[in-house]
Amino acid sequence: MLTDRAMSVVFDGSPLKAMQSSLSVTAQTVLSTQELSQEIKSFINGVDAIQGRKLSVREHARCAVRLLRSVPACREAVLEHLRGVYDEHVSAFLHHLETDGSTSSGVNANLEDIIQEVHGVLSEFIHLNPRAWAPLVSAWAVDLLGQLSSKHAGRRVAPHSSSLNELLQLWMSCAATRSLMEAYSQCLAAMLAWCPDACVDALLDTSVQHSPHFDWVVAHIGSAFPGTIISRVLACGLKDFCSHGAKELVAVGEKGSRVPKIGSVVGILGHLAAHHSDSIRKELLRMFQESLSPSSPMSPTSSATSWESSPQLRRAAVPFLLQLAAMSPNLFGAVSAELVELLRPPVLLQLQALLQGLPREQLDSMLSLAVHLISQSPSGGARVLRFLADTATPASVIISGPTPSPHEGVREGCDRLLQMLLMHLHKLVFNRSEGADVSPHNMASSQPQRVVPFLQELQSLVGQLCAETLRLERKRHLWLHQLLCLLSVYGGPSVATETLCQLFTQARNPEELALAWQLHTTLSSCMAGLVPAAIARCVAQIHTHTLGPRQLRQLLLNLAAAIQSQDEERREAAGAQSSMAVQVGAAVSGHLHDFGPLLLHGDPAVSHAAVHLLSRSPLPLTFTPSHLLLLSRAAVTHFFLTLRRRGESGKESRDAGQADEAVSCSVLLLSRFAAYSSLTLKTVLQQLVEGALHKGNADLFGGKIADMSGAPLPFPSASPDLGASLLDINCQFGTTVNFSGSVWSVFHAGVIGKGLKARTTQQQPDPAGVIQNIQTLLAVVIQCCSSSGLNGSINGSRSSSEADEPPPINAEAAKVVAVTLVENVCPDVANGELSWPPEEHARTTVERDIHIRRCFEAHPVLFLLLQVVAAGRPALCYCSAVLRGLLATLLAHWEASREALSTDSPWHLQVTCLLVSCMGEGQLLPPVLANVHEAFPHLTPFEVRLLLLAVWEYVRANGPMPQKFVFNSEKGVFCRDFSRDGDVARYVTPIHSVLHKNIDRLGHLCWRFQL
Amino acid sequence: MGDIRQSLLPRDVLSAAKELLYHLDIYICNLLQSGRQPPQVDSKTLELVEEFIFHSPNDRNTPARRMSALQELQLLEIMCSCFQEQSRDTVRQLMFSALFNLQGNQADESRMSLLGKLVSMAVAVGRVPILECAATWLQRTHRVYCVRLAQVLVDDYCGMVPGSVSTLQNIHSASPRFCCQFITAVTMLYDLSSEDLTPPLELLQMIVSWIQDDPRLVLITFLNTPLSGSQPITSLDVTPLGGLVRWCIKAPLTYRRDKKPPLTNGSSDSVVEAGPLFSALHLSVLQVFMLLPTILNEKGLYGRLTLLQMESLAALTSDLSRLLDQADKHTHKSSADTHTSSQLALDRLAQALQVAMASGALLCSREDLRAICSRLPHNNLLQLVLSGPVMYYNNIHTPPLAFSPHAAHLPITTHPAHPTHPTHPTHSALPTHPAQTTITSHSSSHNQYPGAVSEKVQRSPRSESSIVAGTFWHST
Repeated sequence: MLTDRAMSVVFDGSPLKAMQSSLSVTAQTVLSTQELSQEIKSFINGVDAIQGRKLSVREHARCAVRLLRSVPACREAVLEHLRGVYDEHVSAFLHHLETDGSTSSGVNANLEDIIQEVHGVLSEFIHLNPRAWAPLVSAWAVDLLGQLSSKHAGRRVAPHSSSLNELLQLWMSCAATRSLMEAYSQCLAAMLAWCPDACVDALLDTSVQHSPHFDWVVAHIGSAFPGTIISRVLACGLKDFCSHGAKELVAVGEKGSRVPKIGSVVGILGHLAAHHSDSIRKELLRMFQESLSPSSPMSPTSSATSWESSPQLRRAAVPFLLQLAAMSPNLFGAVSAELVELLRPPVLLQLQALLQGLPREQLDSMLSLAVHLISQSPSGGARVLRFLADTATPASVIISGPTPSPHEGVREGCDRLLQMLLMHLHKLVFNRSEGADVSPHNMASSQPQRVVPFLQELQSLVGQLCAETLRLERKRHLWLHQLLCLLSVYGGPSVATETLCQLFTQARNPEELALAWQLHTTLSSCMAGLVPAAIARCVAQIHTHTLGPRQLRQLLLNLAAAIQSQDEERREAAGAQSSMAVQVGAAVSGHLHDFGPLLLHGDPAVSHAAVHLLSRSPLPLTFTPSHLLLLSRAAVTHFFLTLRRRGESGKESRDAGQADEAVSCSVLLLSRFAAYSSLTLKTVLQQLVEGALHKGNADLFGGKIADMSGAPLPFPSASPDLGASLLDINCQFGTTVNFSGSVWSVFHAGVIGKGLKARTTQQQPDPAGVIQNIQTLLAVVIQCCSSSGLNGSINGSRSSSEADEPPPINAEAAKVVAVTLVENVCPDVANGELSWPPEEHARTTVERDIHIRRCFEAHPVLFLLLQVVAAGRPALCYCSAVLRGLLATLLAHWEASREALSTDSPWHLQVTCLLVSCMGEGQLLPPVLANVHEAFPHLTPFEVRLLLLAVWEYVRANGPMPQKFVFNSEKGVFCRDFSRDGDVARYVTPIHSVLHKNIDRLGHLCWRFQL
Repeated sequence: MGDIRQSLLPRDVLSAAKELLYHLDIYICNLLQSGRQPPQVDSKTLELVEEFIFHSPNDRNTPARRMSALQELQLLEIMCSCFQEQSRDTVRQLMFSALFNLQGNQADESRMSLLGKLVSMAVAVGRVPILECAATWLQRTHRVYCVRLAQVLVDDYCGMVPGSVSTLQNIHSASPRFCCQFITAVTMLYDLSSEDLTPPLELLQMIVSWIQDDPRLVLITFLNTPLSGSQPITSLDVTPLGGLVRWCIKAPLTYRRDKKPPLTNGSSDSVVEAGPLFSALHLSVLQVFMLLPTILNEKGLYGRLTLLQMESLAALTSDLSRLLDQADKHTHKSSADTHTSSQLALDRLAQALQVAMASGALLCSREDLRAICSRLPHNNLLQLVLSGPVMYYNNIHTPPLAFSPHAAHLPITTHPAHPTHPTHPTHSALPTHPAQTTITSHSSSHNQYPGAVSEKVQRSPRSESSIVAGTFWHST
């Protein structure tokens, strides 16, 4: 229905032209003076002067229009009369709407054509002489519009004033208001050429007077003339603002309602912002810039408006803009982003020059306004902050900022602004949280916490802020640190956690890390559980792989440093910092299993940092076994990795130092783990031994990988030469070899007919490195074994403090090593019992024995491990099978040896010596028998075999049983009482025979074999 | 009369005003009957008028009331009929001055605005008595206010309401006195110094047609006013001649400055060219000068009263030299055009000076003239006028007046007609003047004077130049 009515009234060009032509006809029929005075009488009295009857509304209006055309002096009276006509039409229109068109629409239609006529006349006049008519009609139309819209605002059909679009639709469908609006638009279009301020002034005045009801007019006009209206509205507002002077500025806190025009300026711009925010922003910025730029009367832009030419107005522009921004978040949001971009040093200087002229209190209020604005700014806060910090940071020779250092005055201003901002935020934040604390249960939900947009925005930028803070640039980091505190309090635990986590991650040295402490100190008063949460967050970061290797490393190092400071602090006076350190330690220990995998991180730096952390972190009281296993496995693997790295980086001294440190850290970690519990001890040792024998690590300890399995690695380059298939080989075996032994017998020397098996030639790692590695390994193993981990001492460093006497090897630990060793060297468990068979039976296990020997051949480190085991009596008993196998092969060797002296086969001699001495150490042999190895180098192979046979016989007769050992509590070790065993003398006889035989060379050893 | 205030106070605005007017009428009648000389309206009454008609804010703690525009219109209508119905001139005059004579107080603004409306309305509905009163008012009031009144009328009839110029045009027949004063005020208002102060074409057209119809129109005030010393010095000139001369002389320069008139009032008017109008006006003005010697002689003022003030002439020549300088500076391209218009302006100046001197409207020596024209660029005619006939005639003793006896009998109809100017009045209506009759006989024989033939492009060049030539001889 609305649209129908709107369509029925058309005020565009075509009817207007018709009007004009009809007018030119009527204008020629000039009324005589007599008729005119009659007309005036009729108009005044509302009665037809000739016929004496009352005029209808329509006729009266016609009469008015005639007077308008012919008697200039009646102009104002006529316009006043027409107000009534328009009002009547609007009433009728609204009534019609309210009664849904049930009443007669005749009156309405009648008036519509009158209004059309009036509109035609007016628009013709405006067209013909805009200079005279436009100001008149515009003032009239605007005033009438205001009157009509506020008068009929309460009508039932009239939508609420807040729904602007509906209002617009309603009024634009009414012929009267529509006609007024068009007349005004026409005037405005004409007047913009020469006196735009006047008409916008009128618009603003009316807008103030009929405040919310008139908004639709302004909105419509504004969208019809966006470019001009915006700048005019601004200029008008500025003028008004300026004329009201600075007193309003002081009273900023009172919402500025005392400045009427600025309120409507804000309202209008707010309406326009929906569609023309871009041009509004441009205008505002332009205003700002022009107000600063030195007055140039010839500048082309200043011709449009006049405010630029008045120094007073220019001075007021900045406060005005601030005020505007304070009153309208929309406008502020539109401008703030680009404003910061504009504030380059030259502009700042101009600004300073401008503001210097202002009185003190005005400056203060402007400052507080600016602070308020910044704190309320929903976006761009980060940029503002950076700008402020950049500008306020004192110029320095050392730190050259991104922008050239500004003037000192500007810097001080910014400094002050920044400090006020911080203070303001501080107030906001703490008042807010206080309010929430008072009654957290019932108030927190009902009263929404006051939002500080600035902080709200910065919450997401905590990371960057932390990074900036950590740069430790002069004053800047103080400000930022303060801000971080505020942010943390504002954002609650989540932000605080994030902040702390970021600081942990990004700090690079103790000074920077100290910021984290400071932050925590401040926050700890109002927030509990901050550190654990922060650590948990760090761990989460690790899990999600959001950190690069460097950051990761830094984080781990920082945590390590944090924990370490705990130790240092403990020695000194325990302060707040130490409590923080303790908390960190506790928190980290809860997450050790999460850090464990980092030991194996691809980046050595990270794994190094991880080992640093782990080796310093206190161990938790309880650990799930799975975690323990995981950790210890990782630790051991890391140990071997560090060894390898040390070997690789051996060239450069610097790397070597680092590698050494890494190794020692790793050793420390392992020993701590081992000391933690029996389970970890076992795991660590087992892993160590397995690792040492693993083919991947074997070369570290001088081992030969290829021989581990005892089978040759098929060389792709060599095998084609052979040209032999497996079938052929087997056929050959079948024809040429007489199988005297078991079917399993295999010749290990190679394929018959092809010569000896090609040994895998392998470059030996440099012996020094190998020795070092072996040393390290042994040190670790011994440390682990001797750390009396069974007692569960957490403090791993105690054993090292009792330096003089190395602690005894723990039997249990040694057993672990022994068992692991056996498992690895001798996978075949057949005949794995501890007691020894007669020597002849060794033939049944020749295959396994050879394997064992090869193992020892390939892994020299095994001997050393055996020694360790031997030291931990009675663990060597568990190596029985290995010892037996080794001895069997040695016997075979010496039996077959045709050399003149035992020294002619040095490796075997050495092995034999080691073996026997080990057995002696492990108290498998009585000292008399064990000492025989001292004689070996002086004997012939046959004699060696004789002695070894004696050894064998002894062990066979006196089986290596752990239960034969008793604990000597005095020494803290297990000992075997050989007196309980059978007579040794029987086995000593061959020794004595050999002694006799070679008394010339062995005389000096005789005393060793005394019973 | 002050006692009626209490009875007026409770009334509504309009009826109070109405009642006051009624009482004022009675009061003035009584005043006249009392025969006191001079009749003087007392200040109490004036205060009442200010309070109840002009609603000036007073200090009597009564809230200042305002009339709505409708009430104001009603009041105007009442005033119109009141003046119309009052048969006695003196009463009317006294009442008008009681209402509208400026008192130099706050009420003057509303007084002026109401007066403007009243006069405008009187023009529309043809109330002659009001116009007559207004003419008197225009004679007595300070020129600034006169100009304001004229401005209102011009705005109303030449600007605001299209097609209403004809209404204004009628005042010529309704009240020539008012018309004459109006012209004076308008020439005062539009001094051609800026774009805003150039008369609208409609107005110009109207004034030209008025003067062409009746050249004596511009002298009506002069003729009707007993020339005593009573004229306040700040009031308007007694004739518009000075202003009209200024218009004619400056027009070629100012109208050329902006080829297109800034705001044309309707498409039909824009075809009218300003140049010919000013040319016609110039001729009319010269013709009015020619009327002067008789009138002055009749009044016995010949040689005793100067209608053109030397100071205004000095101002005019300095303006002119400034304009000419500007013209030289700004227009380089159309220098020929510039030259033509500058020469036209100077020619008109020379012609006006010559005729005014000859007709006794300007009383000064040639030395004075040379002084005020010294800064003007060269112009042959002006040179001639300034130096007098001596330079051109060896025999300086030849009395120029010797020709007049012969010429006295020549019929005026032999003067060439102006075919391009249909509205030109027949010359038979003009009073015969001996000097004019000498023109035709000598203009042909003396056309070696360059200035005399310079205005060929104009619509009636010969008549102007012939007048000048005639007066040349006459004045020497």
